[in-house]
Amino acid sequence: MSSVILRNINKSYGNLPIVKNLNLDVKDGEFVVLVGPSGCGKSTTLRMVAGLEDITQGDIQIGNKTINDLPPHKRNIAMVFQNYALYPHMSVRENIVFGLKKSGADAATIKQRLTDVSEMLKLNEYLDRKPADLSGGQRQRVAMGRALARDADVYLFDEPLSNLDAKLRHHMRTEIARIQHQYNMTAIYVTHDQIEAMTLGDRVVVMRDGIVEQVGTPMDIYLQPTNTFVATFIGSPAMNLIEAKLEGEELVFDQYRIPAAKIANVDMHSLSAHDTVLVGIRPDFFEDSALSSPSDNLFEFNDIQVDLVENLGFDKEILFKLGGEDAKARLDLRSHVKRQEHISLSVDLNRVLLFDTSTQGMLLNAGEV
Amino acid sequence: MSSVLIKNESRLGLKLVAPAVGIIGLLVIYPILFNLYLSFFDVQLNGSKTFVGLDNYTELLGNPRYYHSIGVSIIYLIGTVVGTTVLGLAAAILMNQTFRFRNLARGLILLPYFAPVISVVFGWQFIFDPVNGIYNHVVVDVLHLTNERENLIGNPDSALFVVILFDIWKHFPIAYLLFLAKLQSVPKDLYEAAAIDGQNPWGRFWHVTLPELKFVIATVVLLRVIWNLNRFEDVYLLAPNVETLPIFTYYQAFAGIVDQGAAAAISVIQLLVLVGLIWLYVRKVLKW
Repeated sequence: MSSVILRNINKSYGNLPIVKNLNLDVKDGEFVVLVGPSGCGKSTTLRMVAGLEDITQGDIQIGNKTINDLPPHKRNIAMVFQNYALYPHMSVRENIVFGLKKSGADAATIKQRLTDVSEMLKLNEYLDRKPADLSGGQRQRVAMGRALARDADVYLFDEPLSNLDAKLRHHMRTEIARIQHQYNMTAIYVTHDQIEAMTLGDRVVVMRDGIVEQVGTPMDIYLQPTNTFVATFIGSPAMNLIEAKLEGEELVFDQYRIPAAKIANVDMHSLSAHDTVLVGIRPDFFEDSALSSPSDNLFEFNDIQVDLVENLGFDKEILFKLGGEDAKARLDLRSHVKRQEHISLSVDLNRVLLFDTSTQGMLLNAGEV
Repeated sequence: MSSVLIKNESRLGLKLVAPAVGIIGLLVIYPILFNLYLSFFDVQLNGSKTFVGLDNYTELLGNPRYYHSIGVSIIYLIGTVVGTTVLGLAAAILMNQTFRFRNLARGLILLPYFAPVISVVFGWQFIFDPVNGIYNHVVVDVLHLTNERENLIGNPDSALFVVILFDIWKHFPIAYLLFLAKLQSVPKDLYEAAAIDGQNPWGRFWHVTLPELKFVIATVVLLRVIWNLNRFEDVYLLAPNVETLPIFTYYQAFAGIVDQGAAAAISVIQLLVLVGLIWLYVRKVLKW
C-alpha cells in the first residue's frame, strides 16, 4: 500500500480545461471518494492517477515517487472499470489471475489469492465460465476480484456499481467497505452517487467543473458544507435554501422571523454587512411540532400547508412552500400529516446554516472562515 | 407457438426461399452434376462422348504435371494467404491509430482491390519488363545489385513469386477492411484494463487484439484459401507460365490437346477439397 499525492494538477483538452489546479493527499490505507455531477472531472482525475490520461500540468506521486510519465503498466495499480472490461475470451479464473501472473507472483501465491478472492466474492462456482455467461452482478464481482487479487499500491474504482440494480448496488457497497477495511487498502473511488460517497469514504472530495469544492469526512460535508453547491449535492432530499431578509438581528421570510443569534457559529458582526442571506435547512432536521419536545433553540414554522405527502415506509417526505419556494421535510412514521393539512414544523437552530446570497459560500464566525 | 402456426410459418419460409433455390440449382447444381457426368467420358470438341469409366481419374493421378501443379498451388496458397493476412493486419492496426489524413489513407489503401485486374496486370508486366521495366532499372542500373537483367515473369520459378506478390498487393485490402472493422469494435477499456494489469503494448496486442480478432483471422484465412484455390484470371493474365491447379485445368480443357473429360475430373477432385474447406468454415469458424 502507498499514499497518493496530487499536486496542482491541471488537465485540459485543447483549450478546454477539465481539471483545474487540483490538490489532494490520499493517506496510506485511506478510502477517498471523488463525487460530483457528470462532467466535473472526477473520472479524468482518477484516470490521470491510473496513467490512462496525461497530466497537462502538475505532479502525481504514488508512495512518494513521482509517476507523471510512467505508463500505466508500470504503476502497480489495480482498477475496477464502470463497464467491468473483463477479457471476453478468458474464463473467470483466468481473468482474476491475469494481472497477478504478469506481476510475477509464484504459483502458490496465485492459487492462494484466487481461493481467497473467489471465496470472498462468492465466485467459486463460476470460475470456469466465460464473462458472456455471467449476469451483470456476477461480472461486477469478477471485475472486483481481478483488482483485489492484485497486490497493488493503490486501488482505483471508476463508478463500479453504477450498472447494478439498487439492491445489488447496496450489497456490493457493503462488501467493498468490508474488504477495504479488512485489507487496509489505499483506494480512490469515483461516483456520482452521494450515498456511495457518504457510506464508503473515509474522506469525500466534492468536485464541480474541474474544481474541488470541499474535502472532508462525510459528516463534515453533511453538517458543514462550504457552499450551497455542496450543501444541495450531498444529502437527499436536497437541502432547502430560502432567501431571507436581515432585519436587525432577525432573518425574515414569509411571516417567520428567525433570531439569527441562536444559529450556531454565526458571527453577528459580519452578518450585519448583509441585506439578505440564504437560510439552509436540511429536510432531515424538520420535526413535526406535535411530536417534538420543547427546547429553547427550537424554531417553529407554524401554519405550513402540506402540498404533498410521499410515504417511503419508515420515512415520509412532505412537500410545502417556504419563502415562495418548494421545500421538503422528512418526517418519520409517528407523524400522521395528510395532504392539504395545516401543520407546524420545528427545526433545531443549531442545525440551520447560512449562506452568502452572492458568493453562495457558507457564513461562519470569523475565526473559522 | 401452436403447431399449426409453426407449420404455416415453415411453409411460408419454403415458399420464400424456393425461387433462390431454383436459380442456384439451375446455375450451380446443374453444371456441377454435368461436370461429374463428363468426368466419366472421353469428350470430343464436336460433342461426341465415349464412356471411359474411371480412366480420366487414373490417367490424371498418373500425370506428373498434375502433381507439379498441386505443388505450385500449395506454394501459391501459403504465400498469398499468409501475405495478405499479415499485411492486412498490419495495415488495419496502423489505420486504427489516430493521425492526420487518416480517412484519406484508409480510402487509398483500398485502391488495389478496386482496380480492374487487366489494367493493373499490364502495369505489373511493365514493372518487371526485362528491357524497359523499372524493377531491372533500379536493381541493375541504379543499385548495381546484379549485373544481369532478369526476366522475372518469363521464368516460371520466379514468376510464381511475382504472382504471389501481385495477389498480396491486390487482395490485402479485403483482409485489411475486415480486420479494421473488428478492431474498431474492440472496447477501449479492454486495452486500458490490460495496461493496468501490467501489459505493455506488445502484451496488449497479444492478450487483447489477437483474441478479439481470432474469428476474423480464421474467416480471412479460410475465405482466402477458398478464393485462391480457384484463382484464375490474376495468375493467367500476369504469368500464364505459372501452372496452379486452375491454370492446369484450363490447359487440359481448352488448350493444346483438348481433354475436357480429364479437366472435368480435375474439377471434381478440386470440388471435393473445396467442399471440405467450406464445411470447415460453416462448422467451425461460423460457430465461434
